[in-house]
Amino acid sequence: MTAGTVLASSFIVPLFMLVAALGQRTRERLSDLLPFAPLPALLAALVVPDGTIVVLPRSLLGITLSLDKPGAMLLGAASLLWIAGGIYARQMLQDAARAVRFAIWWLTTLSGSLGVFIAADMIGFYFFYTLVSLAAYGLVAYDETAATRRASTIYVALALLGEAFLLMAFVLLAAATPGNSLLISDAVAALRSSPWRDITMLLIVLGFGLKIGLVPLHVWMPLTYSAAPIPAAAVLSGAAVKAGVIGLIRFLPFDVSLAGWSEVLMVLGFVSAFYGVAIGLAQTNPKAVLAYSSVSQMGLLAAVLGMGLGSGSRAALLPVAFYAVHHMLAKGGLFLALGAAAARRGSALLVLVPTVVLALALAGLPFTGGQLAKMAIKDPLGDGVASVLAQISAIGSALLMLHFLYLFRAGIAEAPADRPSAAAVVAWLMMVFAALALPWFLFPTLDGASRADAFTLQELWGAAWPILIGGLLAALLWRWRTRLPRIPEGDVLFIAERCAPTVSRLGAAFERADGVLRQWPIASMCVALLVVLTALALAMPA
Amino acid sequence: MSTASVATTSSGYLLVLAVMWPVIGILLSFVVSGRQIERLAWIVLPVGLVIAGATLIAVTQAGQSQIYVVGNWAPPLGIALRADGISVAMMMATAIVICVTGVFAHGEFSQPPGGPEERAPVVFWVLLFAIWSALNALVLGSDLFNLYVALELLTFAAVPLVCLKGKKETVEAALRYMLFALIGSVLYLLGAAMIYGAYGTLDIRLLSERGHAEPATLIAASLMTIGLLAKTALVPLHLWLPPAHAGAPAPGSAMLSALVVKGSFFVIIRIWFDAMPDLLSFRAAQLLGALGAAAILLGSVLALRQQRLKLLIAYSTIAQIGYLFFVFPLAAGLATGVAWSGIAWTASWLQLFSHAFAKAAMFMAAGLIAEALGHDRIAELGGIGRKLPITMLAFALSGLSLVGVPPSGGFSAKWLLLLATVMEGQWWWAVVIVLGGLLAGGYIFMVLGRLLASPTEVPALQAPVSRWRECAALSLAICAVLLGIWPLQSSDFLFIGR
Amino acid sequence: MNSATLFGFCSAAIVGLGLFGLIVSPHPLRRILAFNLLGSGVFLFFGVVARRGAAAGLGADPVPQALVITGIVVAFSATALAVALVLRLFALTDEAAPTSEADPKAGAEGGHS
Repeated sequence: MTAGTVLASSFIVPLFMLVAALGQRTRERLSDLLPFAPLPALLAALVVPDGTIVVLPRSLLGITLSLDKPGAMLLGAASLLWIAGGIYARQMLQDAARAVRFAIWWLTTLSGSLGVFIAADMIGFYFFYTLVSLAAYGLVAYDETAATRRASTIYVALALLGEAFLLMAFVLLAAATPGNSLLISDAVAALRSSPWRDITMLLIVLGFGLKIGLVPLHVWMPLTYSAAPIPAAAVLSGAAVKAGVIGLIRFLPFDVSLAGWSEVLMVLGFVSAFYGVAIGLAQTNPKAVLAYSSVSQMGLLAAVLGMGLGSGSRAALLPVAFYAVHHMLAKGGLFLALGAAAARRGSALLVLVPTVVLALALAGLPFTGGQLAKMAIKDPLGDGVASVLAQISAIGSALLMLHFLYLFRAGIAEAPADRPSAAAVVAWLMMVFAALALPWFLFPTLDGASRADAFTLQELWGAAWPILIGGLLAALLWRWRTRLPRIPEGDVLFIAERCAPTVSRLGAAFERADGVLRQWPIASMCVALLVVLTALALAMPA
Repeated sequence: MSTASVATTSSGYLLVLAVMWPVIGILLSFVVSGRQIERLAWIVLPVGLVIAGATLIAVTQAGQSQIYVVGNWAPPLGIALRADGISVAMMMATAIVICVTGVFAHGEFSQPPGGPEERAPVVFWVLLFAIWSALNALVLGSDLFNLYVALELLTFAAVPLVCLKGKKETVEAALRYMLFALIGSVLYLLGAAMIYGAYGTLDIRLLSERGHAEPATLIAASLMTIGLLAKTALVPLHLWLPPAHAGAPAPGSAMLSALVVKGSFFVIIRIWFDAMPDLLSFRAAQLLGALGAAAILLGSVLALRQQRLKLLIAYSTIAQIGYLFFVFPLAAGLATGVAWSGIAWTASWLQLFSHAFAKAAMFMAAGLIAEALGHDRIAELGGIGRKLPITMLAFALSGLSLVGVPPSGGFSAKWLLLLATVMEGQWWWAVVIVLGGLLAGGYIFMVLGRLLASPTEVPALQAPVSRWRECAALSLAICAVLLGIWPLQSSDFLFIGR
Repeated sequence: MNSATLFGFCSAAIVGLGLFGLIVSPHPLRRILAFNLLGSGVFLFFGVVARRGAAAGLGADPVPQALVITGIVVAFSATALAVALVLRLFALTDEAAPTSEADPKAGAEGGHS
């Protein structure tokens, strides 16, 4: 039972802090609590044994929690990132006018973000997913400029759309599950024979695809990460996005191979992987580049999951979680580096070197966690086309990251003198250390993986050559850098925004219809008409 | 069931008390002075709440309807009061909303100290008691004519609430409401007359045994249904609702939106699920569902386009009423015992109650904001969230329940409703439900974004806002959220007496 | 054609007239009158029902008559309330002219003001 209590406390403690904020004194010091809120989750990830299941009482919605290996891995890494983000945010919020509000949104997003990794029933999962999706609105909207307003509006609209897809998907899953069980495992087991199998799959892919930014549902990502303050961008890009990854891990039926859906995921995934790189190269804001890199990386993960779905085995899940953990730590570290760089302008090199390592780790730099991550997903990808595409995407990642580093370095030179902040540096260093070290600890827990493999010449060369080619390409592109197109953040978003007048006209049409219907003669005629219609409908047999 | 078996049950007296206690309140308010009337309310409200609670417990423990046969004259000659699962649930929700409204109205409808006695406070408290009594009579009535009388009492109590402040637009709105409701009443009465002509009784139990599909019955049923729709403001018969609900003072809007429109809906349920359970054809059920769908779409889009907060909430009510009407296509199998009809049935009641709590809370929050700022233009609400955090929390919680965010009664209702559409194979309603949730998310976040924004100059409050009234709004919003704990399955409680 | 049928047709005609009046009359007072006409038609219909139900030998079925009396009281109160509202409205608008078309626009304005 203690294990269950620890597990439950990982989301209850942050929520309890929110409740405590009703008191004036706690509220004033709420931002001081931010670094401590994820500690129970970290503890749970470390000590709660694999396979623990706990059912909460009805007053807590009867949520079922469980911890498995992928969940524990992601939970632990996410809580680390949230701690680092909390340290940074606490510093940022000192003397800030809107500190309390930011802290409230932060804690809400946090409890949702950690809860999704341990929820075992659909209602609980949906609850946490909603928390992490909708509460992030407040983190994005923090700065209250025109750009953040636009970003947060688009974000919340798409988040609501994703919620709607998932709600319908979960309802279909529940409808196909025999008995009253709402457990995810039961629902997914019943999916194979569900009469609504394909529409359920479509909704799952759309819903979670929106979260992980599968093209063309990625438009919110660059806008959001550019608009959010640095610690928020770090946790959103690192931890919150993984709600989509865990969603795919939990809800895709890996025990059976579903014809077609594996290909759909792979195509969407690889398209996103390359599209993210291509558009990312046309960006000038380092935050936007990191966002497009997320689009690319999550696309690759989706492709791996697609391969796993095709093979009809759960073998791909742990490698995917491992890859996601590395991405979470590295991406969080890179966002925090933007803050650390501003704080430590004097010693730019000290910030630049670890950042170079961290950035290239995303492309699989040898001796980093990135190399291990790439090794982990090698098996699920197989030897075919997918493997080749994955290697090409690694080249793309290297190229994109060099672009980021170029912008990053330029940014350090131009950065305005900011308040030097020890906390920013501590938080950043913590993530750099975690991103480089933690994968080495976790790697042996994967099936058939040992650290020694990473040091074979073959593996090292396999990890190194995409980066070398990426470097060569970067050198080539350097000559044309002034001629590269500049694409606004959110690329295809302009198509949607072009539809805005049409939507507005549609709304005006509704308003006119309402105006007509609300005239007395029309409404009273409607009464008479409806009486006749209802009588006819009653009289006619079905 | 034979007529002989209809007899007063052991707790039957509670039903009489539930109807008569607010009436006693009304009578006493004519006796005491205007200054005493609010003190009187402090007695009437809690006791009424206790009566509702006791009835709820009595019905739950007995596991069957509680009946009071008036004057021991059994139907069809006499009339009976009958409390089944849905009526006590309605009674309880009514009692909670009315009591909290009473707390909220304190201050707004108190006699000004020192000055001359005002009329509006006296009228308000009398109307509050009248609405309560009428609603209790409505949910307990077991014969179509009794229901008619209760409905009329409800309308007569509701209309003056709209124009309590006496402004010209509100009087116009009240008149419009009154006249349109009267069309509804007459149609209902005409239908009842036809039913009596065909079966010689208006008792709901007896009708359910005797009723059969013949032209007169069907015409009567459609007359009654459409008459009630006019009072429920289902699209396209919603012309009176936006000005009336937006124009009324906040406690009035809360009761009108939360309870009064639900009263006439309750009678529609009585007709189709109790009096004539076998007669609702597939097409007619689809027609009602389609009107509900139209209401959701029209109401939500119009809510998105409003510039004033109270009008936005009023249009949201139009949309939310629409969800209730999915009970007809989805729970139509209830009479024949189709298993998943119970899910749709439970969902609809959850929707009704959670909307009642959430909408009352929302109108109260809007009222406080309007009072504090002196206006309710959405574009100029920026920063008020910091001045009135509790009000904003009440608005946010009730709004999230309307959108269907877990945990909330709104989410549970939507979940079960969607489940029922899937089970019944009527996926087209699911599309509307999901779309309605999206649009609701749009207008709620539109307002929340404004409330949360912190412009450079925070607007000055024109009037102080009482903490008590803020907490009243919040407590109802919390009620809406707490309904989310309801188990996500067909509820036995709502089947008591069926 | 017996008397019940004749009265039945009469009541149908009155209901129809009342309904027509309610739909087309722009003025609140006329609508109130139309409502009363409509109500009278319904009450007449109750009378017809009572007459038909009296085949058992009684002079007339007493229940519909009781219902009609209650109905008349209700309709009377409704009329009183509606007229009170109209009077109040005229007092507020200072327009005693009962031909003015005040109503349909009122709702629209109420919706936007």
